[in-house]
Amino acid sequence: MINYLMICRSLTYAQKAAKVLERAGMTVSVTRTPPGISEKGCGYCIKVPERRLSQALEMLKSADLAPTKIYVLFSDGNYSEVGL
Amino acid sequence: MTVYLDNAATTLIKPRSVIRASSGAMSALGSPGRGGHKYAMAAAETAFSCREAAAKLFNVDDVEKVVFTFNATHGLNIVIKTLAKPGDRVIVSGYEHNAVMRPLYEIGADVAVVRSRLFDAEEITENLKKELESGAKLVVWNHVSNVFGFVQPIDEIAAICRDASVPLIIDASQSAGTVKLDFKALGADFIAMPGHKGLYGPQGSGLLLCGRMIKPLISGGTGSNSAEYAMPDFLPDAAEAGTHNMPGIAGLLEGIKFVSRHGPENILFHEKRLIRELAAGLKRIKGVTVYDIVDNERMSGVLSFTIDGMESERAGQELARRGIAVRAGLHCAPEAHKTAGTFPVGTVRASVSVFNTRQEVMYTVKAVEEICRSR
Repeated sequence: MINYLMICRSLTYAQKAAKVLERAGMTVSVTRTPPGISEKGCGYCIKVPERRLSQALEMLKSADLAPTKIYVLFSDGNYSEVGL
Repeated sequence: MTVYLDNAATTLIKPRSVIRASSGAMSALGSPGRGGHKYAMAAAETAFSCREAAAKLFNVDDVEKVVFTFNATHGLNIVIKTLAKPGDRVIVSGYEHNAVMRPLYEIGADVAVVRSRLFDAEEITENLKKELESGAKLVVWNHVSNVFGFVQPIDEIAAICRDASVPLIIDASQSAGTVKLDFKALGADFIAMPGHKGLYGPQGSGLLLCGRMIKPLISGGTGSNSAEYAMPDFLPDAAEAGTHNMPGIAGLLEGIKFVSRHGPENILFHEKRLIRELAAGLKRIKGVTVYDIVDNERMSGVLSFTIDGMESERAGQELARRGIAVRAGLHCAPEAHKTAGTFPVGTVRASVSVFNTRQEVMYTVKAVEEICRSR
């Protein structure tokens, strides 16, 4: 299963964004940003299933909670950045 | 009988849910923002829930604007040192606590105190307007006096500051949890409050509501942007360096839920009823001067009094001997005593909470009667 990682500037920001998505009925989770992704050191991201990505992005954009970056997380644990 | 009437210092009697949550946090909650394991994430969830609960209670439109502090003094230091510089003209009320006066003194601000007749809300607003005519970089205003329980006309004060385009910091140490506090409507730049008084959280907990960015008071780890040495330039991280007080935050969350469930207005109603009875009882005793507030809208759960010919500290000791805990002296608020004419001798202060009863108030009145008789 493919998931997307939405990188957030802080834990509270990630929680706030996750709450917006959860209120809309999405199942998402706030997790630690993998070390290879986190450019500025420690950070948190929201894990979103592939089929919900565009809807999630739309919702976060209208809530003024856009992520700083997005990565696709493959089932083998590899990931690569996706253009916003 | 033991009676706790020092709730303006800290509400000693806490809801059971607060004690359970706080002690439970000691073994269940890790450090929020410091890991992805279940203990860190459980702490993160609790911290976020507490921010959400506070945002809802005080009408803050964004949880990131809710910052955890260790007490109101901590929050006031952050924001006063963000907005005031040496030589800046800063206007304060005649009821300020040293949590405001000392940081301003330390900075070297040019402090103008708005004087007025005791408990005269109209004169306060008029005199603030006059003071603002000479200009000011900042206004710092006490919402409810910790000495007299006087509720200041904060809506009007905020409106005056908005009209004058002068930033406003509100010290809500004695109002949070009882007197209406609407962050959005007030449009204040910052509101600082303790978690351990009217919000019934543990000591060592506090909240700072931020209408703008702060300058960090302390620097350190935040669990964000860790590769950089500069502090994050976003809230709440910029104001929360170091490990959070999770037992305090977990307890505070339950305290806020308790207050929200009961309704601040109902808690205030109960407290005012007790204070009215206390004031009426004490006024009947010869030699007792009561600083009671006639206007119902301006009173809260605090009452000051003095006993003729007896130092406040001694009166406090005499009450303590009878099992009654009050606070005597200047209550770290010399400005309030200057306004009332009780400086430097101070007063005896009784302050109630939702857990105090009429029976306790009557017991206190009898104890003061006895002390006066045995002078």
